[in-house]
Amino acid sequence: MTTSTEAPPPAAPGDAPEDAPRARGRAARKRLVPYWLLLPGILWLVVFFAAPLVYQASTSVQTGSLEEGFKVTWHFATYWDALGEYWPQFLRSVGYAATATVLCLVLGYPLAYLIAFKAGRWRNLVMILVIAPFFTSFLIRTLAWKTILADGGPVVGVLNSLHVLDVTSWLGLTEGQRLLATPLAVVCGLTYNFLPFMVLPLYTSLERIDPRLHEAAGDLYARPVTTFRRVTFPLSMPGVVAGTLLTFIPAAGDYINAELLGSTDQKMIGNVIQSQFLRVLDYPTAAALSFILMAAILAMVTIYIRKSGTEDLV
Amino acid sequence: MRAVLRWLRRHLVVLAGLATLAYLLLPNLVVLVFSFNKPNGRFNYEWQRFSTDAWSDPCGVADLCGSLGLSLQIAVWSTVGATVLGTMIAFALARYRFRARPAVNTLIFLPMAMPEVVMAASLATLFLNMGIRFGFWTILIAHVMFCLSFVVTAVKARVMSMDPRLEQAAQDLYASPAQTFLRVTLPIAAPGIAAGALLSFALSFDDFIITNFNAGSTVTFPMFVWGSAQRGTPVQINVIGTAMFLIAVLCVLGAQLLSGRRKRS
Amino acid sequence: MTQTSGGDVRLSGISKTYGSFTAVHPLDLTVPAGSFFALLGASGCGKTTTLRMIAGLEDPSTGTVELDGRDVTALPPYKRPVNTVFQNYALFPHLDIYENIAFGLRRRGIKSVKKQVEEMLDLVELGPMARRKPQQLSGGQQQRVAVARALINHPRVLLLDEPLGALDLKLRRQMQLELKRIQTEVGITFVHVTHDQEEALTMADTVAVMNGGRVEQLGAPADLYENPATTFVANFLGTSNLIEAEVVTAGGDELLLTAGETKLRLPAGRCRTTARTGGTVLAGVRPEKISLTHADDAGGIAEGRNRLPGRIRDAGFLGVSTQYVIESPGAGRLSVYEQNVERDPRLVPGADVVLHWSPAHTFGLDASQDIGAGADTGEEAA
Repeated sequence: MTTSTEAPPPAAPGDAPEDAPRARGRAARKRLVPYWLLLPGILWLVVFFAAPLVYQASTSVQTGSLEEGFKVTWHFATYWDALGEYWPQFLRSVGYAATATVLCLVLGYPLAYLIAFKAGRWRNLVMILVIAPFFTSFLIRTLAWKTILADGGPVVGVLNSLHVLDVTSWLGLTEGQRLLATPLAVVCGLTYNFLPFMVLPLYTSLERIDPRLHEAAGDLYARPVTTFRRVTFPLSMPGVVAGTLLTFIPAAGDYINAELLGSTDQKMIGNVIQSQFLRVLDYPTAAALSFILMAAILAMVTIYIRKSGTEDLV
Repeated sequence: MRAVLRWLRRHLVVLAGLATLAYLLLPNLVVLVFSFNKPNGRFNYEWQRFSTDAWSDPCGVADLCGSLGLSLQIAVWSTVGATVLGTMIAFALARYRFRARPAVNTLIFLPMAMPEVVMAASLATLFLNMGIRFGFWTILIAHVMFCLSFVVTAVKARVMSMDPRLEQAAQDLYASPAQTFLRVTLPIAAPGIAAGALLSFALSFDDFIITNFNAGSTVTFPMFVWGSAQRGTPVQINVIGTAMFLIAVLCVLGAQLLSGRRKRS
Repeated sequence: MTQTSGGDVRLSGISKTYGSFTAVHPLDLTVPAGSFFALLGASGCGKTTTLRMIAGLEDPSTGTVELDGRDVTALPPYKRPVNTVFQNYALFPHLDIYENIAFGLRRRGIKSVKKQVEEMLDLVELGPMARRKPQQLSGGQQQRVAVARALINHPRVLLLDEPLGALDLKLRRQMQLELKRIQTEVGITFVHVTHDQEEALTMADTVAVMNGGRVEQLGAPADLYENPATTFVANFLGTSNLIEAEVVTAGGDELLLTAGETKLRLPAGRCRTTARTGGTVLAGVRPEKISLTHADDAGGIAEGRNRLPGRIRDAGFLGVSTQYVIESPGAGRLSVYEQNVERDPRLVPGADVVLHWSPAHTFGLDASQDIGAGADTGEEAA
């Protein structure tokens, strides 16, 4: 390659036009450029993401023990046994995650709307406040919920005096006069932990909406509620879909909240996989469980994306 | 009374949004307050009395600052790795048409649609069967793996929205391909790359689930917190958490002030 | 600044195909040194592709590009002594105006750029804006930066890709004159791509009208307007009335035609097709060449003029002139522009009139072409 200093216009007579085969070689090399760019990163993902999944699949049909080693015996019964034993945890995971996702949407939408349309010059500050908690380890923040929901704490005190806890325990969401170690506490923690993942995509898609559309809708005799239902909400659908996925998927596999805020009766499937893998050391069962979880989530996500008609999300 | 009701109705959205914001920030407030607590037992869940002991000696607990250093180290290296690899993939996807494109797109999307516990268990199984010892390197490999997709997404969006004529203009103005990349493409793509890198850092620094499966006996900061939740939570954890929060807010505010002043001058 | 004379551009058999789509058919074109050359056509006609092949931003499928007699076909853009003013300017958003203008000099390794950049900033009257970012400038200012950024390199040829497309009408007029002035001053060869026929006609010495990847006609603006060679040029440059007519007598200096009941005369030298007796040609005339006379006064029209009867369908007042749409039995719908000098109050819709014009203003075209070619595209692009 000629360096810049050597080629002032008019270009030196030295760089003679290249002959055809050389030009063709250059074109061929150009076609390979994307593959060279992809190679290291994709290799990384193939070796450390895709290959482990395949390995995991083979592990799930192995039998044996830690002492004698595991062998592939196509023992599909592991799947049935795992499902048969842990179906309550599966159902609980899906239920908790779905509830948390809905709560995130309900709570997150006003906040995203506030940042997008109402915050004015405070917009950046509010954005920072939404993102900043990320920098305090989420484990520390989840432990803080232990303090907030503690048995003798002010939250329990207020809810108790309003008899809210009586209602929720009648509904099966809490037990007795406490919040900690109840389904409500776990869902509350899940909602809290994944709320920013709902707010940020919602904000991104709301921010793209031209505020003049609101005025146009108002001009065309739509009341504020109608404007929201007919204009704002449909236009924010990409954010709603992205947000619900980003909330539901990690929530369904989470085991931190159930571990820290729940009791043994609130164990989710993540807890089971974790303890099978790290404590019981029953690798085939752990593998089978994570495969079932993965398949279930991929199936739900695919159906959801199809239904909401935003396949371009991928 | 009716005026109050009307005011409430008009500002319902704002009030609801602020309530959510309060819900988001409440734990941070608790962490801050309890960093000044002097608990009686091993656990720092109940308020006893005010003390600045923990602030005056943040590393006073065995292994705490060591784990924090390790986490920062891993976060820096996995950010570098994921940003370099992810930026390359993003450029390939944004700039070139090739046959494997849909497959690559799927491979990038899947890690983001996969529960962490599944990725964690799979990768750990691989390492176990390969007989690789868990520790710093296995954590780093795992972190680069799950940060990669986020970098690709952030950078790709930026590069796709870039006017291709800018690079043509550079070439027209005597910039060689290498100079074009360094002088035009990279500076314009920089905000996307920075966003991806920042996200990587945050994800890596705060990751617990994947690290828990692939760390062996190595203890990162989140793992230290997890362990202390079982054994007893030192107040210093709150000190570190609050400090990180404040540093992050100050950094962002400072950057904003700086760019605001530059814009005015 | 130093006087630089321009270089000439010679395209030989150059073409560009994308898969099965041919953007530019094999094309020979010579742009003389120091001229202001315009490539005019609707979007998708191949004019921008041609320009990009000269710049080196597009590899031609066949043919060669020569600059000053030197084959540069295989040279990448950064080694060609040409510069481009891009559509929408493509100013570097991360650099200020000063650095945008200095970019080319710096890439060529020139260390002290200050004097040249400041001279250039003065030339385009943007001295006080030097440290602003492009997005803080108005459209017209950005356009001048784009010109300055290219000109500072003293290119042999300056390529302009729709340089005025993003400006409003008034600013566009002003910049047309400005660009013309700069070109005369620096003497660089300008190759200018535009879809705006008025822009091409006012600025260029030579215009090449392109359509469907081919050059339809090439010539001086007045020549193209008065003597269009194809229906596309006749319709795309201004408006033309094209009348299908039968040839009664061929041979000699003048052709005699009939359209419906009426006879028309056409100078043989202005007929772009070989006319045989009994064949058909398209007789064309520009709307402003036609005079309108009320049918009651038809007796007063001078002998020897081409004339057509008709009825006014519509009249639109345009200030300087009035535009009439006239339905004529043998010729269909015709358009006529009358100067608003002495308006006949009887010329209102519904009135019977006679259209008449000098046979010397008639031109003849091959009747096998699409009679409406270029009529819609011109309107749409403008």
